[in-house]
Amino acid sequence: MSAVTIREPQVLDALRSVMDPDLHRDIVSLGFIRNLVIEGDVVSFDVNLTTPACPVKDRLREQSRQAVLQGVPGVRDVRVTMTAEVRRPQAPDTSALKTVRNIVAVGSGKGGVGKSTVAANIAVGLARTGARVGLLDADIYGPSIPILMRAGRPAEPREHGIEPGEAYGVKLMSMGYLTPGDQPLIWRGPMAHKALQQSLLGVNWGELDYLIVDLPPGTGDVHLTLVQTVPVTGAVIVSTPQDVGLQISMKTLRMFQQTKVPVLGIVENMSTYVCPHCGGRDDLFGHGGARDAATSLGVPFLGEIPLDAAIRRYSDDGRPVILAEPESPSGAAFGAITGRLAQQVSIQAFKHIALTIVEE
Amino acid sequence: MTVLSPDATTPVEIRKKGGERLTIRWADGHESVYLARALRGRCPCAQCVSETTGARLVAEGHVRPDVAIAAARPIGNYALHFDWSDGHTTGIYGFDYLRRICPCAACAGADA
Repeated sequence: MSAVTIREPQVLDALRSVMDPDLHRDIVSLGFIRNLVIEGDVVSFDVNLTTPACPVKDRLREQSRQAVLQGVPGVRDVRVTMTAEVRRPQAPDTSALKTVRNIVAVGSGKGGVGKSTVAANIAVGLARTGARVGLLDADIYGPSIPILMRAGRPAEPREHGIEPGEAYGVKLMSMGYLTPGDQPLIWRGPMAHKALQQSLLGVNWGELDYLIVDLPPGTGDVHLTLVQTVPVTGAVIVSTPQDVGLQISMKTLRMFQQTKVPVLGIVENMSTYVCPHCGGRDDLFGHGGARDAATSLGVPFLGEIPLDAAIRRYSDDGRPVILAEPESPSGAAFGAITGRLAQQVSIQAFKHIALTIVEE
Repeated sequence: MTVLSPDATTPVEIRKKGGERLTIRWADGHESVYLARALRGRCPCAQCVSETTGARLVAEGHVRPDVAIAAARPIGNYALHFDWSDGHTTGIYGFDYLRRICPCAACAGADA
């Protein structure tokens, strides 16, 4: 019978010399030691590893045993039980979006078709009807919403998330805010993934009826992250009337269909050009291609936006045309498209069944 | 491969019985019941199915008989993700895929 009293801190201190070779930290600070029991001069505990398949299990067992035997005076025997509990990567916390009713993605096949302009005008158009609207600029390659909406940077992130900016009654967040000034975002997939999750889930959106997400062109990491992270209510595809633009748009459309995101409709941008001098019409990029495609695919056609210098002028000025000149042909076109979109969102929201897994 | 209707691949109810069983009722009225081990053995991830040949690397016979669903969650609108009790977490099971591997007598072999 030993006269020395063995204390728990002594045992834990001794065990701190044992390192997990993969995680490069000691097994005490990793929280692996469980059920530590000291009975006289016998010490027993569990080493709870992250996988039962740990290749260094036996080595860790022996190291732990020796560490206590040699490091703590008076110990006669050490009983180590190896257990394992597989830690899982945490699913993203989507609670920030609990107060967001509908998430609408705006995508296109290629760049330069006016996707961001459409997204900005739709967002402002919806806000003008009294809806609570957010606009997330997720175009990592060319974040243009801050220009189109003449919005400054939002406040610095606080402990409880990023406060969105606001312009024309629309709450704003841009992935462009994540880098300083005019620096481009040079990101590999995993970084784009993280950044979108942060701009989507780390922002205090509050109560929103619609969150419009302006996607990068094409079908890439940002799209996949979006459709995997949140239940997207539906998607809008922006295309030019040109067949080439349209064929590429179809790929984006099929990506949404494959990930079960309902396609709310197609918008034809840069449709007919109306000459401001003579009023003559000219279909510079063709006309009606998107309508035909929508009809043949059985998806709604939301409308066409004329090629109008006013759109460019107001956009550069940071005032969406739907606000600056709602009665102009292009302003009216955006207004009509916004209405049809809201209608389609309502239809989808009605049909949509929230996916939950219930325990039986 | 036959094309499945949207209703055939849209779940209206997903139920889980502990870690052992998953049941999906589809919009076309069909019900699929998956036992944990069989489902684990049909994991579509790149560790379980060869990316180059498409050959199955990890099948039902390779997984522990008592393997269980540790956790299940939906991925967006189109898939389910499982954490398995054996530590495997990389599979994303699209609803399309889940319907194709429905183990019921009527479906089994229909799309093999």
